[in-house]
Amino acid sequence: MLTSVQTPGSPEAARAALQAGAVPLGGGTSLMARLNDRAGGDLRLVSLRRAGLSGIDVQGDTVAIGAATTLADIEDDARLSYLSGCVRSIASPPVRSLATVAGNLFVPQPYGDLAAALLALDAELDVLGADGARREPLERVVTDGLRAGDLVTRVRFAAPAEDTFRFHKASRRRLNSGSIVTVAARITIEDGLVADIRLALGGLARRVMRAAGAERVLLGAPLNAEVVARAAEADVIEPFDDAYASAWYRARVYPVHLRRALLGA
Amino acid sequence: MPSTIVTIELNGTDRELIARPSTTLLSALRETFGLMGAKRGCAQGGCGSCTVLLDGRPVVSCLIPVVTVDGSAVETIEGLADGERLDDVQQAFVDHFATQCGFCTPGMIMSATALLNRKPDPTRQDVTEAICGNVCRCTGYEPIITAVLAAAERRRGDPAVPTPTVPTPTVPTPTVPARPAPTEAEV
Amino acid sequence: MARVTPIDTAYFKGERAGDFAVIGSAVPRSDARGHVTGRTVFFEDMTLPEMTHVKIHRSTRHHALIDRVDVSGALEVPGVLRVITHEDVPNNWYTVLRLIGVGPDDEPVLAEDRVLYRGEPIVAVVAETEEAAREGAARVAVGYTDLPAVLDVEEALADGAPIIKQAGTNHFVYEGHHCRRIRFGDVERGFAEADRIIEGRYSSSPIEHAPTEPTGCIVVPQGDGRLRIHTNTQAAFFTLDNTALILGVPPTSLRVVGGTVGGGFGGKVDVIVEPLACLAAMLTGRPAKYVFSRAEEMQVSSPRAAERISIKDGVMDDGRIVARKITLYVDAGAYSRHSPYGTTKAAAHMPGPYTIPNVHVDAYCVYTNRTPSSAMRGFGVTIGDFALESHMDHVARELNMDPLRLRLKNAYRDGDMKAHRKIASGTALVEVIQSAADLVGHDLPPEYRAMSSTERSEG
Repeated sequence: MLTSVQTPGSPEAARAALQAGAVPLGGGTSLMARLNDRAGGDLRLVSLRRAGLSGIDVQGDTVAIGAATTLADIEDDARLSYLSGCVRSIASPPVRSLATVAGNLFVPQPYGDLAAALLALDAELDVLGADGARREPLERVVTDGLRAGDLVTRVRFAAPAEDTFRFHKASRRRLNSGSIVTVAARITIEDGLVADIRLALGGLARRVMRAAGAERVLLGAPLNAEVVARAAEADVIEPFDDAYASAWYRARVYPVHLRRALLGA
Repeated sequence: MPSTIVTIELNGTDRELIARPSTTLLSALRETFGLMGAKRGCAQGGCGSCTVLLDGRPVVSCLIPVVTVDGSAVETIEGLADGERLDDVQQAFVDHFATQCGFCTPGMIMSATALLNRKPDPTRQDVTEAICGNVCRCTGYEPIITAVLAAAERRRGDPAVPTPTVPTPTVPTPTVPARPAPTEAEV
Repeated sequence: MARVTPIDTAYFKGERAGDFAVIGSAVPRSDARGHVTGRTVFFEDMTLPEMTHVKIHRSTRHHALIDRVDVSGALEVPGVLRVITHEDVPNNWYTVLRLIGVGPDDEPVLAEDRVLYRGEPIVAVVAETEEAAREGAARVAVGYTDLPAVLDVEEALADGAPIIKQAGTNHFVYEGHHCRRIRFGDVERGFAEADRIIEGRYSSSPIEHAPTEPTGCIVVPQGDGRLRIHTNTQAAFFTLDNTALILGVPPTSLRVVGGTVGGGFGGKVDVIVEPLACLAAMLTGRPAKYVFSRAEEMQVSSPRAAERISIKDGVMDDGRIVARKITLYVDAGAYSRHSPYGTTKAAAHMPGPYTIPNVHVDAYCVYTNRTPSSAMRGFGVTIGDFALESHMDHVARELNMDPLRLRLKNAYRDGDMKAHRKIASGTALVEVIQSAADLVGHDLPPEYRAMSSTERSEG
């Protein structure tokens, strides 16, 4: 049962509450849905809504987004238009008004499409821990998690050069549906060959994952259907069954959606 | 379980309530203030029946501990009409048969209102996206989308808007007090 | 309004007497104003002092014996007022259709010594708050011995299948028969005379109504000792009478207040929440609310039955269907609810809106360890129509014949005897097909244009 909900006014106060055993509450779109339906032991929450963690800062190519910034805020920010397709593919407007950036990094799959996009953008996290502030690559955090009591305060990444960011999500319905397969990529082509590639996948494992094998196949190669088909075979994926799709189906259509993400058809 | 006094600006008026940690904005609206327009359809943020505006944004009120929105402005379906005069979205829903069982209607209208507040001239696709979190099992959505587009035209005062051919209902609408929650004595 | 299609007056001229003022025009809904203002009162739209909340501990097994039920954990939860087990239910066994003579009573309100489906209610917990009720329900401990589960209709009827029903058969018994049967003409002779035999097999999965408003009710004890039941039932009198029988009280001691349903589609005609909410109100002397969570609505509210239908047609090369044999299985799930009736409807609906001289139907109402199915929009008929019309298209392809002409040739006419011995009247299928052909620009030769549902020409 929910025994308390704190609303600290600063990141430090929020972190102290986490350290004392409270659970962080971002937009609540995943956690509150669970609490509304299921019994469980006593639980204390610390809401990040008033902790001064919202806001989007763009300085040249450097982007910093506060952890409690909502998906709706990102959707509305013209400077982040390359993320618009990703964000609008997530849930619905009344959910996006609540759901936060940091929350999206930790939701169970097949959600977490923004996390896949940020992984492809090689994002880093500002983390406030018992030993003070530090920076962690998102890739390490999605794999290993954080220490108990750690608080993500900000997500940082370099804005992708124009037309180098791709996001493609396959879902049961075009709007408001969990992912079957999500592909996010930062890709640069020079002289007909892939000069830079960073590829992240959703829906194909219990966490968003980097497709390092596919990146190796693609790097330095021409971007065509044959190469992309080989790239789709290059990673160990561990898809799962859920209400949206079977593991078999996810594995079966991943090559199709990798192709659509990278080649557009 | 400690309770907290929370203040929200509810349909333009400051209101206070005593909230437990588990009190959601939805349960505060319904059980404390007796505003029964927002519905509980899933308590999962999935059906949109509980949609209200929080500081101008559409939100699923079932997922919000009300103590976290102390000091915020909340608008609900009950705040739209001016007395017995329906607002443009409400009237368009009546005129275009955008209601059937009525359970999704308040949430649907609040999502539509949020859209029109930000985008007075939406496309059909904009409307579809705006209501994609509001589940309607009766209508098939088409009359709803048509109604929202008609409301947009009406709000813009577009002279090309035809006057609805459907007359206002002749059945007298019972005059209900502003807080329509039935009390034990009424029901 | 413009989008209302005007009445097509080209057909049935002689039958239209008087002016229709309403049909074909747009009439404002009398309830729309309440809906758009949020003033329409649904069952849950009331707050009552001293309201209690009911949550259920449900089976985690498809089929099992219950060895042990321990409610002590639930009673320790602060706010839990009491638990309800089958021993508290005055008449625990029922079937909703007993009101029209269908039996036996095959379903317990709360499980006794066994469970027949995952999600079957075992213990109800009544508490001061919804959270406490939920917590209490979670803390009920049940010990099971698993039994083999039957999850497929044909496996349920196979030799050696475990018998899951205490009545002794995995199928409903229709007046001593293993299925609902239709026998018309001589189907084997029809097959022998046919130019060709065309067979098909069709199946469907259960379909959940997913009403936006979950199934639920609020029961309020009255000063005069009666219980007032605010419910979103689609079947007020079914609910009243079944609840009275379960509670062992005269129907006059209950009052059902309903009529406003936040989406039903047939999913709110069973009597599930009211008896337990009434018991909770009787045992505590306080108002009681029992409403499904969305997960319960998906898992345990009865869906449309899954069906499996085999069709064997004897067909002449000119398109006349001279014999049709149908074997149909309705998956009732664990308990009867409305499925014995739905299966009868399914049988009577065969062979579809076609006049076929030789018809043979075996329609089985089958029990499995799945969520009990029940009513949903046109239940018993809808899936049958899917199968029949899919099969008509299949026959048309096999004959390389226009599917509309195949249907016109076989369409029933006014005055035809249907397979279940009813005279068809007001059929209009011929005219509907003709009109549909016009609307989509589909050519029909003059002899098909000349057909009429009111007279049978040689087709």
